[in-house]
Amino acid sequence: MSTPVIFDPMTLPSDDNVNSYTFCVELKGSQWFLQKGKMIAYYGQIDFNGIGHGRFERLVRTSFHSPLHASDWVVAEGSGKMLLADRAFDVNSFDLEDGNLTIRSGNLLAYQPTLALKQSIVPGFLTLIGTGKFVAASNGPVVFMEPPLRVDPQALVGWADCPSPCHHYDHGYMRGVMGGLRSLTGIGGTSGEEHQFEFVGAGTVLLQSTEVLMPEQATGAVPHEPGVPGGGGQHGSTPRMPGQLGDLQRRFGL
Amino acid sequence: MFRLQGSKTLAVDLTGDAVKAKNGSMVAYDGRMAFKKMSGGGEGLRGMVTRRLTGEQMEMMEVKGQGTCYFADRASEINLVSLHGEKLHVEASNLLATDAGLRTGTTFTGLRGGASGNGLFTTTVEGTGQAAIMSDGSAVVLRVTPQYPLNVDPGAYIAHQGRLQQHLQSGVNFRTLMGEGSGESFQIRFEGDGLVYVQPSERNTVGGDV
Repeated sequence: MSTPVIFDPMTLPSDDNVNSYTFCVELKGSQWFLQKGKMIAYYGQIDFNGIGHGRFERLVRTSFHSPLHASDWVVAEGSGKMLLADRAFDVNSFDLEDGNLTIRSGNLLAYQPTLALKQSIVPGFLTLIGTGKFVAASNGPVVFMEPPLRVDPQALVGWADCPSPCHHYDHGYMRGVMGGLRSLTGIGGTSGEEHQFEFVGAGTVLLQSTEVLMPEQATGAVPHEPGVPGGGGQHGSTPRMPGQLGDLQRRFGL
Repeated sequence: MFRLQGSKTLAVDLTGDAVKAKNGSMVAYDGRMAFKKMSGGGEGLRGMVTRRLTGEQMEMMEVKGQGTCYFADRASEINLVSLHGEKLHVEASNLLATDAGLRTGTTFTGLRGGASGNGLFTTTVEGTGQAAIMSDGSAVVLRVTPQYPLNVDPGAYIAHQGRLQQHLQSGVNFRTLMGEGSGESFQIRFEGDGLVYVQPSERNTVGGDV
């Protein structure tokens, strides 16, 4: 019989993984931002407070720039060790050194306040800027790739430094009336891989090894002003049917 | 004799003796086995009535025979627990198998159960032998000593053993009511001497959103 490893406050690792699903954070009077409900257990004296709290005004001003997101995050402070986990997904910690990383909002679990959290221009993603440690979850282990690269939208976890994330559609497949019809109706067989995200330039792209998405955390609506993606400023376009891709069908006269 | 075959399958070697397991959890066996549904988990009429009343339902079967029997349930991770006369408290949904010699029963957990989304009652396993408990993702075993009490999220709690007092700690304050809750308002605090098993995943709990 295998005897399970028994942890106590002394043997728990400090700011490291306990197993591939659980991460241990050591607090020594310091603070961490964490997403609501991801703490599973803790030793010591730790307080959890919602971000709307006046005492954290300065902290929030320097390291939390997503006001519409505030209700999903709490600040943990005190001293002790706490365990973080998320729906039995793999968790990993990453170190940023004067860098930047953009991550799908549902995948970020916790981060040190030395990092600044900002809403990405790309909807549904958050950007971390600065120096510090953060903890992210992924469905299956994370794979690091170098651009130039095209990735499946569902497998993308995040990216660092890449200046130009963009959509890529396989144009050849959709050429002509038949192609347009096929992409519109799905009849005639689609491989399901006609649409990818494309990354070029220097940087790193993080992928998870499954296409099952983690439920997205609403990052709040973007402000309604012209020039903001998804933020309106467009004149009334007809709602798109599922299966329609961008404005390609308009070009093909469909 | 319990052993793990991988981390998600329990293999039990039987030599004419019996083992209690969750109904329908057998995935394979070699040798000769007889499976018998145990009405009320072998706790007799009183146990049956208690379980029905408390909602701590547990369908168990008795497996008896010669050979090796394999158990698994929804690809949950399995943890083995050795008991030497002490009592193991476990949620009925997390109990996979126990030695036939272990007694199972139901106890009232107080307010804690209400917050963990598993009812107000929990299952106890008592005696000397082995038990197998399931968790969503590999469980972490945490030791509690008088100097180091432990706080656990009710949704992540699966089992505990030893001499532990537990009470529900609530951090509900005026800010929670204003919609600025911390999401960690309810915790179970364990004090005393023993082990607590937590899983890296949270069930949906009443307290989870507060």
